[in-house]
Amino acid sequence: MELFFQAVVNGLQMGFLYALLAVGLTIIWGLMEMINFAHGEFLMLGMFGAWWLSTTLRLDPLLAIVPLGLAMYGLGVLIYEQLMRRVQLGDPFTQIFATVGLLFLIQNSAVAVFTSDYRFVNDTLLTRWSGVKLQLLGLTIGVPLLIGALLALVLFLLLYLLIDRTEFGLALQATSEDREAAMLVGIRPQRMFAVAWGLGAALVAVAGAILANFFAVYPQVGLQFTVLAYAIVALGGFGSILGTLLAALLVGVVQSVTVIYLPPAFKDAFVFGSYLLIGLFRPQGLFGRF
Amino acid sequence: MAGSSVGRGSGGRGRLLTLAVAAVIAVAYPIPLQVGGYTYFQTVGFLVLLNAMLGVGWNVIGGWAGQFDFGPQVFLAVGAYTALIVLIHLGLGPWVGMVAGIALAVVLCALVTYPLTRLRGHYFAIATVAIWMIAQPIGATWEFINGSRGLFVPMKPAAGAVDAVWTLQFSGARKALAFYYVALALFALTVYVAHVVERSKLGFYFRAVRDDQEGAEGIGIDSRLYKVLARSITAAVYAAGGVLYAFWALAVFPEQALDLNWSVLPMMATVVGGIGRLWGPALGAVILIPISQVMSTTLGTGPLAGRGVDLIVYGLIIIVIAAVRPTGLLSLPWSRWARAWSPAPSASAPSGDAAFRP
Amino acid sequence: MAALLELQAATKRFGGLVANKDVSLRIDAGEIVGLIGPNGAGKTTLFNCITGYMHPDAGRILFDGADVSRTGPNRISHLGIARTWQVVRTFGRMTVLENVVCGALARTNRVTEAEARAQRLLAFTGLGGKETMRAANLTLADKKRLEIARALATQPRLLLLDEAMSGLTPLETATAVDLVRRIHGELGLTLCIVEHVMEVVMPLSHRVVVLDYGVKIAEGPPAAVVRNELVIKAYLGEHYRERG
Repeated sequence: MELFFQAVVNGLQMGFLYALLAVGLTIIWGLMEMINFAHGEFLMLGMFGAWWLSTTLRLDPLLAIVPLGLAMYGLGVLIYEQLMRRVQLGDPFTQIFATVGLLFLIQNSAVAVFTSDYRFVNDTLLTRWSGVKLQLLGLTIGVPLLIGALLALVLFLLLYLLIDRTEFGLALQATSEDREAAMLVGIRPQRMFAVAWGLGAALVAVAGAILANFFAVYPQVGLQFTVLAYAIVALGGFGSILGTLLAALLVGVVQSVTVIYLPPAFKDAFVFGSYLLIGLFRPQGLFGRF
Repeated sequence: MAGSSVGRGSGGRGRLLTLAVAAVIAVAYPIPLQVGGYTYFQTVGFLVLLNAMLGVGWNVIGGWAGQFDFGPQVFLAVGAYTALIVLIHLGLGPWVGMVAGIALAVVLCALVTYPLTRLRGHYFAIATVAIWMIAQPIGATWEFINGSRGLFVPMKPAAGAVDAVWTLQFSGARKALAFYYVALALFALTVYVAHVVERSKLGFYFRAVRDDQEGAEGIGIDSRLYKVLARSITAAVYAAGGVLYAFWALAVFPEQALDLNWSVLPMMATVVGGIGRLWGPALGAVILIPISQVMSTTLGTGPLAGRGVDLIVYGLIIIVIAAVRPTGLLSLPWSRWARAWSPAPSASAPSGDAAFRP
Repeated sequence: MAALLELQAATKRFGGLVANKDVSLRIDAGEIVGLIGPNGAGKTTLFNCITGYMHPDAGRILFDGADVSRTGPNRISHLGIARTWQVVRTFGRMTVLENVVCGALARTNRVTEAEARAQRLLAFTGLGGKETMRAANLTLADKKRLEIARALATQPRLLLLDEAMSGLTPLETATAVDLVRRIHGELGLTLCIVEHVMEVVMPLSHRVVVLDYGVKIAEGPPAAVVRNELVIKAYLGEHYRERG
């Protein structure tokens, strides 16, 4: 039983990280209904970026999130303007295929440059504290994961404020709600979409930089996180930021608890299974829209 | 593309002629190579044919029904494992195993896919990946199929040529050649079946669902049913391919049988050769696989060894086409001459009509 | 005699918006019924509910006596209701002939038989000679005719036309009106037409039903509806009444 609660606590912490990972997709998918098979590849780039900066420049991943975030923002905007903008108005098949092409390109460029070997981030703030634990209510809480989770939560809340409380965020919401009406009030949808892609890429890359402290870094790590992100966004209601957070926490917990009872290989199976179930029984997600 | 009325005349005869020439080449291709003592080229030919066959299969759900599917490799694994189980536990040969494998794959596909047909485009595509990801740990840990230790084809020297074909046990220098011809036969059969489907009610309904699902419902098409049927045909082809693969590779491991490349290569072949067109996948496979082989032999020992480069190139191809001419992913310009053969409808622009908004 | 189509207090809500409120109407076999009303009155929503793309939140829809309130679109097509769309939709990547063949396959499994029927319907709707053109390349007027031909191929008893005349030139409109008359006269179909073009609806319809803000505000022969105070206020404007 105690094992169960322990798993729940760990799961919640992972959940905050997952929330950061998924919220970029919430913006792109929820806003523009654009699928992105390469979402996990941005994560992978964030992870590799953090690893590389850490090993060559001794820059801590937690600090690296700034340059990485900016760089990935630029990449996201570039991808939108050069590729996605052109397929946006076409049929879904082509849109999907275009991002699959992106997946092939990014993932295998990483293989070409870094090889498929697993890399690990060492000697960073969080990894140095990897043994440090907190005792709370009879449960053991690892401090590094806690810090990572809190950082993710802070970023997440900043994003929420951006979307919900700023004029820019309102413009973004307006564009998703009704593109033509948004144009009538002077909003340029193309610019909104470009920013959405930039933000989405930056957020998931930052999540990757934090995750690099806890997971192995390798080029193929992206796809499972892509599906995980989709499961979270679907559960959370396609476009609801708060919903994404709740769904991410749920997913983190489900994952964590599953490992107690099933072999670790099945860690994600339950989450993916729930994506399928949601699609069938409650397509609007657990928490509805916005 | 109407069954009998359109496509006859000189276009039709030219097509028949090209077909005949291609058939002769396909049958004769390995003979001089075999005589010359090679086996490598026969193996490449085998891979081309296998992937072309899978491409024709993928085209049914992807090209005709228009549903992006990243998961048919699950059914390839089903076919491969079923045939091996049938052989190991029941002593029945691979052709029996193939029938069983196809049947099982189709049933599984129908059961798993029907609920998912409520999902649209993107969501459905992700769902196919999710199913694949659930299949992976199952394949790796299921004791009945030996998990990641894999299942091996029990070797039993065949008693004569007929028995060899029945048991798909070929040995020595003839092995690559024999599998080439078996693959050729299966490929031809697959193309024939696809041809029949294309001109049938199924073919029409698949394309209607692709072009406008809501509009299709309005003229009596149960879009969910037809998506399942399309995917089941793809599953059947993949299962058959899986059996062929199993007996060629002499062993089945979950990681290999479930490899995403079983989707990627046929998909790429279909795009390069012309989505929605019957011969598209074959054309694409003939182009892509030899190139991929050349790339791996020339780069084989260098720093770029490994599949990475193929996929980088594929990725670039897709992205460039998508950015420069988005409709090109639906039909590439150099398949225009292929259009003259295959009386399938041209496919250069999406429908452009309004999507249904409640 | 039982009505072919009957709506009993059909209500449809979208969140807080009531698109259709207690709409009751009946359409008898052989009629041409016009359905008019300002934009946003709920006409297309009504069509969507009748054809199964949406389901009423309250009330019932009966077709030939059978309750189809919760029936899906493809089943409703089989039962005998066909429709065209406010914004025209065809199978753009298929040819004109193939589009209609898809419709005809609702009643037969044999492609050759479906093709024969399709050819006849293309001739009937004036698209003869355009069989091998890609649907996406047609003019708007031809696309609308294709939509109609495809719908007719399913051998419906009731055909719902959603603003079939919108976007047409006067000449195209006249041809379309003629087609509607022939569908009614030669094929014996019952029709319900949503239209904004009064000059089309009034002469064609036996009866007119008027919706405003989701509610039926008038019903009757065109001449009577045109003089109805509520209708004039909501929709037609003083101008039309003065013109008579």
